Amino acid sequence: MGAKEIVRALRRELDAMTVIQLLIAYSILIVFLVIPLVLMVRAAFLYQGKFSFHWFIDILTSPEFISFSPRGGMLFEVRRGTMYIWGNDHGILLNSLIVAFSVTVLCSIIGVVAAMLMGRYRFPGKAVFRVLLLIPLLATPFVNAYVIGKLFSPRGGFINFLLVDTLNILPWRIDIDGLVGVILAQTLSFYPIVFLNVLASLNNIDPSVEEMAENLGAKGLRLFRTITFPLFRPGLAAGAIIVFIFSLEDLGAPVGFSGARGNPLARKLVSFQIFSSFAEALTGTFSPKIAALAVIILFLAVVGFLGVRRYVSRSRYTMLSKGGRWSPRLRTPSVMTRSLIIASLGFLVILASMPQIGTLLMATTNWATSGPVPTEGTTEYLATLTSNPDVSRAIVNSLIYSGAAVLIMVLVGSSVAYIVARRAIPGRSVLDILATIPVAVPGVALAVGYFFLFSSDFFRGSIIDPIVDPALLLIFAYSIRRLPFTVRSVSAGLSQVDKSLEESSLNLGANRPTTFFKIVLPLIIGHILGGAILSFVYSMSEVSTSVTLGALREDRVPITFFISQIVYGMAAVGSVSIGAALCMLLMAVQITAMAISNYVLKQKVAFLGV
Amino acid sequence: MVKVELKGVTKRFGDVIAAGDVSLQIEDGEFFTFLGPSGCGKTTTMRMIAGLEYPDEGGVFFDGEDVTNLPSFKRNTGMVFQNYALWPHMKVFENVAYGLRVRKVDGAEVEKRVDEALDLVHLGGLGDRFPSQLSGGQQQRVALARVMVINPSVLLLDEPLSNLDAKLRVEMREEIKDLQRKLGITTIYVTHDQEEAMAVSDRVAIQNHGVIRQVGTPSEIYSFPRDVFIATFIGRGAILEGAASLSDGRPRVDLGGFTVEGVDTVSAVGDGDRVACVMRPESFSVAEPGEPSNRLDGVVEWSSFIGPYREVKLNVGGTTLLVDVPPETETPVGGSLTVYIPVRMTIVLPWDEVK
Repeated sequence: MGAKEIVRALRRELDAMTVIQLLIAYSILIVFLVIPLVLMVRAAFLYQGKFSFHWFIDILTSPEFISFSPRGGMLFEVRRGTMYIWGNDHGILLNSLIVAFSVTVLCSIIGVVAAMLMGRYRFPGKAVFRVLLLIPLLATPFVNAYVIGKLFSPRGGFINFLLVDTLNILPWRIDIDGLVGVILAQTLSFYPIVFLNVLASLNNIDPSVEEMAENLGAKGLRLFRTITFPLFRPGLAAGAIIVFIFSLEDLGAPVGFSGARGNPLARKLVSFQIFSSFAEALTGTFSPKIAALAVIILFLAVVGFLGVRRYVSRSRYTMLSKGGRWSPRLRTPSVMTRSLIIASLGFLVILASMPQIGTLLMATTNWATSGPVPTEGTTEYLATLTSNPDVSRAIVNSLIYSGAAVLIMVLVGSSVAYIVARRAIPGRSVLDILATIPVAVPGVALAVGYFFLFSSDFFRGSIIDPIVDPALLLIFAYSIRRLPFTVRSVSAGLSQVDKSLEESSLNLGANRPTTFFKIVLPLIIGHILGGAILSFVYSMSEVSTSVTLGALREDRVPITFFISQIVYGMAAVGSVSIGAALCMLLMAVQITAMAISNYVLKQKVAFLGV
Repeated sequence: MVKVELKGVTKRFGDVIAAGDVSLQIEDGEFFTFLGPSGCGKTTTMRMIAGLEYPDEGGVFFDGEDVTNLPSFKRNTGMVFQNYALWPHMKVFENVAYGLRVRKVDGAEVEKRVDEALDLVHLGGLGDRFPSQLSGGQQQRVALARVMVINPSVLLLDEPLSNLDAKLRVEMREEIKDLQRKLGITTIYVTHDQEEAMAVSDRVAIQNHGVIRQVGTPSEIYSFPRDVFIATFIGRGAILEGAASLSDGRPRVDLGGFTVEGVDTVSAVGDGDRVACVMRPESFSVAEPGEPSNRLDGVVEWSSFIGPYREVKLNVGGTTLLVDVPPETETPVGGSLTVYIPVRMTIVLPWDEVK
């Protein structure tokens, strides 16, 4: 297209509604996503006022950050009748990479096995497993890792109580802690991401392509290796990269684990280092070295995400299939195999729902202080939710932040989705990437970026300066971070509305705004509400910016910050059981939202992918 | 009602040319059809008239007024989409009333005109249904009523019958033609079905690879195709390749085993040229006609009783021709048969590889 054609196309396409939509979307994305990250990157590359790799070299050459020989920690060491499984300390940056990589591999194995079992076999109780396998998606931030830390404690932990003291089947007590503890906690909460992505790919494979391969003589492992695996590989890659990014930026496990056990090894991770440096941010300065650390994980996450996105979009083989509806291939295995499948899935479900079960127990019994098993029930902690003014205030804060964020997300998200899906405007792919990339932007990195922009001289002391009042920034942080859910949901709605429905409206004399409000909106309203509900839920349980920016003013803290303080043992309010009660409230909100979205709006819950 | 004019309209999608320098004039009140194989650009050409696509080059004119860059909602065209594009969240009445409501017509008037429009397409009383509660044929009528109600200056029909079964298709096309005749509305029709195009159109434009190959009345196009593509696309029968020699300006074509005399309808055949010879099966007769004609003696290869006629594959000097003969003619396979074709019906065209 020549310049003249572009101008002509723009004049035609840019009616008032489109201009407003573009302005809203671009201004919010640029101010609250692009500029903060650019300023953070700039700070990381400045040393004594000049462009320099100083901070990066500093990090990459310091054994505190990267050390190939262990600087401490224990991996499968037995001392005085206890097997210590902590992991070795290889420096903060390397630790983060090792943890993220291990979690990704473990989640991939568990997710693929579970998806193959659920997607290819028929066995009793399958419908129940379909629900139970998703229990880990119920976010119980910080408390989940705390529960695992407590269960695997050598002193009074339930696992040792069961396996060593009661059943006597282990020669030593086991102590899972430190980095391995973090890996365990993250794996158990993140595997459903891989599971769902792979299962969706498996269900998308036209069974005739597998039947064709069998017809040509491929069976068993060969069939899996040559046909099935390559066809679900894009789904696996999509799930795996999300797990990698989530692990890299996760604060819940390090804070929760070190809260439960006090072991400093669980804190030797990049995300925790950035988190803890926010304490000094109150003075109005921020270490450029921490900015450099944030830049490194931002870079890894974004490059990985864009790479996988490209790979996935280039390998949509399943679309080649023509005609007909199919039902996935389901085999009914022998009784022996069926029992094996049920037993292994049952084991996985029990293991993976430990954090949620533990949360319920802590919130409703005296388990937090009673030793391996709870001895009596209590409603004391649940009552705190309304009786303790600090707790109630945190709840109200979170509700307000998430509610306001949802309004912004609906406005921006539906604008972006509509423009990307329907309007031939040059540069719309930029908009598409900006609205999708927040999935890959570590929350702690965004928080650091916000600090550099909104605590700068320009905004210092204004209502948007997080040191003055973090409320506005938290709302925008939630909006940006959860935007992809709304966009994805609205896009799914738009893809079901044939373009000709809009064209016939235009043809009959309705202009674009009338067409949008009378034709498009009524047809996608279910998807918009579905996306809004989902975004609301994920905003309520948002961790990274809540515990960093939220920390800056006591009366503005959201729920998750409050939980982190309790679990980390810093709050004066007392027992970790109050944190568990708050998590129970979060779970109730999540279950209600999913039920509404599933049964009232008939929307499938949009899950995490690229 | 308006006169529609396309001047040098070109539209590209990447490397594909959807419309290549299309220039034509559609008269006020005319029923004009774009006919061509799928992917030939006929729908894109229509969408540029509707204002749903914009040409890369050239212009679109309604009654001489340039509407090239006018958005669809300002053109007052009425387009019926291939999939009908009925709004699933609105009842039939609201679907039809939509165009009036956006024109701010007052309530009583809307009611009256919608009822009239529904009566016009024989759907009176169905206004309360949702589109999903209607049959395919009824949905099609709603789509028609929805555009007729706004008195469009041009009626645009994009393969409107392709989703209907064969019997309904014939019924509906007659209804559409009746309606158009009654209202005298300029109508532009897009189809890939030549029979449909022939049945309803005043004039037909044949399009291929974006380019208009011929514009004419159905009978002109059928009897005097301008090139090999059109001869192949329209009608039945073999297109035979041969070498021409001119005598008295009339081409004689050597078809290998035999020669025929024909007419050069496009005046483009030279002595010694490679040519295509078009002989329609129904142009043949078993009795010698009272005009200059070619006599062909052949052997029956295959014969099939169709009903109104008998279709015969006749081997003449090693070349197979498709010939229609009266149904009572005895044509045993292997038997010999003599047929005649008038010279004026033996069309000779310059040879062209059909893409």
